[in-house]
Amino acid sequence: MAAQGTSRSGLSSALPLLAPAYLWLTAAIFLPLSAMVFFSFMTDLPLSGKPWAFTLGNYAAFFSQSLYLTLLLASLRLGLEVTLWCVIIGYPAAYVLAKVLKGRSREAIFLLVILPFWSNGLVRIFSWAMVLREGGILDTALNAVLPFKINIDLMYSYPAVIIGLVHSYVPYMVLTCYLTLQAIDDSLIEAGRSLGASRLQVLKRVIIPLSMPGLVAGAALIFVPVVGSFMEPRILGGRTGTFYGTIIEDQFVAVFNWPLGAALSFILLAVVLVILAVASPVLKRAA
Amino acid sequence: MMTTRVLEGLGRFYIGLLLTFLYLPIIIMALMSLNVSPFYQLPFEWTTEWYASLWQNDQLIAATWNSLEIAVITTIICVVLGSAASLALYRYDFRGKKFLQALLFPPIAIPWLITGTAMLIFFFGVGIGRGLFAILLGHVALALPYVIVVVSARLQTFAPELEEAARSLGANQWQVTMRVTLPWIMPGVIAGGLFAFAVSFDQFVVSYFLSTPGQTTLPVEIYAAIRKGFTPEINAVSTIIIVVSMALMLLTARFFKFGGEK
Amino acid sequence: MRMPRLTAFLTATSVIASVLAASAGEVHVLNWKGYGADEPWAVEAFEKATGNKVINDFFNSEQEMLTKIRTNPGLYDVVMINAAFNDQAMAEKLIQPIDVSKLSNYANISPDKASSPMLDHDGKVYGVPWVWGLTALAINEKSFDKPPTSIAEMWNAAHKGRVVIRDDAVEAVQFGAIATGQNINDIKDMEAVKAKLTSLMPQIKTFWSSENDWNQMVASNQIDIGTYWSGSADRAKTHFKLPVSLVIPQEGAVAWLDAFSIPAGSKNVEGAEAFINYMIDPKFYVEWVTKVGAPVSANTKAVEALPEDAFNRKVMGDPEVAKRIQFQAPITDKQREAYLALWQQLKVDVK
Repeated sequence: MAAQGTSRSGLSSALPLLAPAYLWLTAAIFLPLSAMVFFSFMTDLPLSGKPWAFTLGNYAAFFSQSLYLTLLLASLRLGLEVTLWCVIIGYPAAYVLAKVLKGRSREAIFLLVILPFWSNGLVRIFSWAMVLREGGILDTALNAVLPFKINIDLMYSYPAVIIGLVHSYVPYMVLTCYLTLQAIDDSLIEAGRSLGASRLQVLKRVIIPLSMPGLVAGAALIFVPVVGSFMEPRILGGRTGTFYGTIIEDQFVAVFNWPLGAALSFILLAVVLVILAVASPVLKRAA
Repeated sequence: MMTTRVLEGLGRFYIGLLLTFLYLPIIIMALMSLNVSPFYQLPFEWTTEWYASLWQNDQLIAATWNSLEIAVITTIICVVLGSAASLALYRYDFRGKKFLQALLFPPIAIPWLITGTAMLIFFFGVGIGRGLFAILLGHVALALPYVIVVVSARLQTFAPELEEAARSLGANQWQVTMRVTLPWIMPGVIAGGLFAFAVSFDQFVVSYFLSTPGQTTLPVEIYAAIRKGFTPEINAVSTIIIVVSMALMLLTARFFKFGGEK
Repeated sequence: MRMPRLTAFLTATSVIASVLAASAGEVHVLNWKGYGADEPWAVEAFEKATGNKVINDFFNSEQEMLTKIRTNPGLYDVVMINAAFNDQAMAEKLIQPIDVSKLSNYANISPDKASSPMLDHDGKVYGVPWVWGLTALAINEKSFDKPPTSIAEMWNAAHKGRVVIRDDAVEAVQFGAIATGQNINDIKDMEAVKAKLTSLMPQIKTFWSSENDWNQMVASNQIDIGTYWSGSADRAKTHFKLPVSLVIPQEGAVAWLDAFSIPAGSKNVEGAEAFINYMIDPKFYVEWVTKVGAPVSANTKAVEALPEDAFNRKVMGDPEVAKRIQFQAPITDKQREAYLALWQQLKVDVK
């Protein structure tokens, strides 16, 4: 059941609604980014006072050094894992919020889920350090409960990065899924059940397809930033915390190689767009 | 109906687990704001000195106000502009629509590091420079795609027949929008607003590049403080923000129903 | 005859007032945060003494510092540039020569620092030596009965997973150079450095990038040993009461020199000179070391003003130490990028 708007007068009617948002985006993002695209084809920045020339070298570097490809794959994998965890954890929560809870408690809990968004990201990460490290909250709590002594030190590891990222991004998934789940008419579900379908079948045939837009939106909002993230990996990942995002950061912070940093970012953008373009029809068909 | 009860009970339990997960670091953050050690060292020693010294910390307080102001303005602008754009993308078909939709992804996809640096150079070249106005420009641009994506997702669940029906009853476009479409997408709009606020309030990288001394935001101040010498004043201010937000939110929930009940 | 005299008087007053206003200007300072120039008592003392207003801005990396000067011509009056970067700043015409005759304290700067080829070009002074320090080793006193003396302690299997090193490609490569007995500014055998660092990787718990990282980890007893700055180790011990000791290994340590420069186009050169003079003044230095903790001053009189058993005087002033430290020299952008590529590869190969 496609819920698309009907084709109407087209661009001329859409323009006044679209213009403010897209003009703002143009001025603040697309124009600056175009400048960056320009830079990515240079050897040095004009700003540095050094002679510069046009080159494809920065893009070529991506292919000539296996380092970048390895890290890009690692980051993509990180993005995929975090997104999957967010779906597994977030979707059921959204369902409960949308269908099980009612009234005041639903709204209160909904807000409570959103609230951690507003805590400062850096402080949150440091707080995770307290939980995950050896002698930290998790270690102490488990040792108090279990009969045998174990040593949990999750800090500075890949799992810590996953936990930190999932914690930061799962509210996105809960929110977007809630929006679409809540729109599903209860009578549809009742109809399905009364026709003899089991809960599982109703879930598979009615609920998931109808809430797909929310899932896809949430996945996009999570996958995309996680692939380029560098703060959580750096702080929580320890010596395994090197990812594509941290390499790009290095080009700006450790050396003055903005052209390379820009080129690497646009390669990232291209890859992400390709993935999204390929994935969304697949997901839509599954609906 | 027993299974329904059991399932519902499990569901509630699950939500409880999720909330525990979400709030674990926040509770720790709050606890550490009351601990003597500036290095999160246990054993726990109670103190309120960090809250006391927070009041003396003009820089941190000024940055907090800046963050709040910018976040509120960003949210309002984003919600208005973003909802309008979503409506347009939903209602109308035209050449280049796919392109415009694809354009929403670069701001989210490109590491904020690049966008921030790009803004720094471009604003400098164009004469906008750095400062709170530049930060606002950047925040709105970063949050807009989120609002558009979220409101669009909600619009996908909207039945176009409702608009048609209203129109056939003689309502003009404006009335249709205000009376039929908007109430339906209100949860999406509010969600988008919450996102925009979060994106702006917790935005670090772009704010960092565009700030100048005296015109900074809270995340930038926190980052600087961490590099210089962390004090739990940071925990204190973060805790205060969470507590105040919680109070505000619960109050809003009391008076506004935005769960989209029919 | 009154009117002309009145006019003359008014004119004179306004001229004097504008002269005073011009000299009571603003001094824009660019430095690391919490690194002396923004201490509230220092700013107050300087403002009172000279009538200038101090506006501090900060950077978190040398690259950021250079970017800020490049994108804000004429804004900053004083910038703190690590001596190894002074070359680059001068080559890009970002800083101007300093008239050291205007700085009364300059005469007391230790001669080897004042005449450093990193700061003097074509007979002109482009940087005033301020403080210097070491990137050596620091230990968690709880993990050692006796302090180690060799850099090889970092590779001791007993500390596996409890070693930290700074996330900085140049520092890491130079650390590797010292560990393989080479000159940090002229590394002949990069393969040896690479091999040495590769074998260090499994020992490492994580990379630190700020003092706070280090201090937090030693406070919760998570690390035994790591590279650390000399001033920071001292500060951790005296100011934060943490069980930290500095160890200057017999193989040597990397030394760095921080200096103040005046950016080209500064609008208040006089104020800048006064500020720099204050920064190298013994009175400021002693108060800074006592209240907060600091690296070693390049001003010999300032160091002498410290008590005899002060860390900066006793340990850092020890000639034995001076013999085995190597000061960082400038490196080209290309070299820096090569080091970074090496370092990134090392970090990726780690599992």
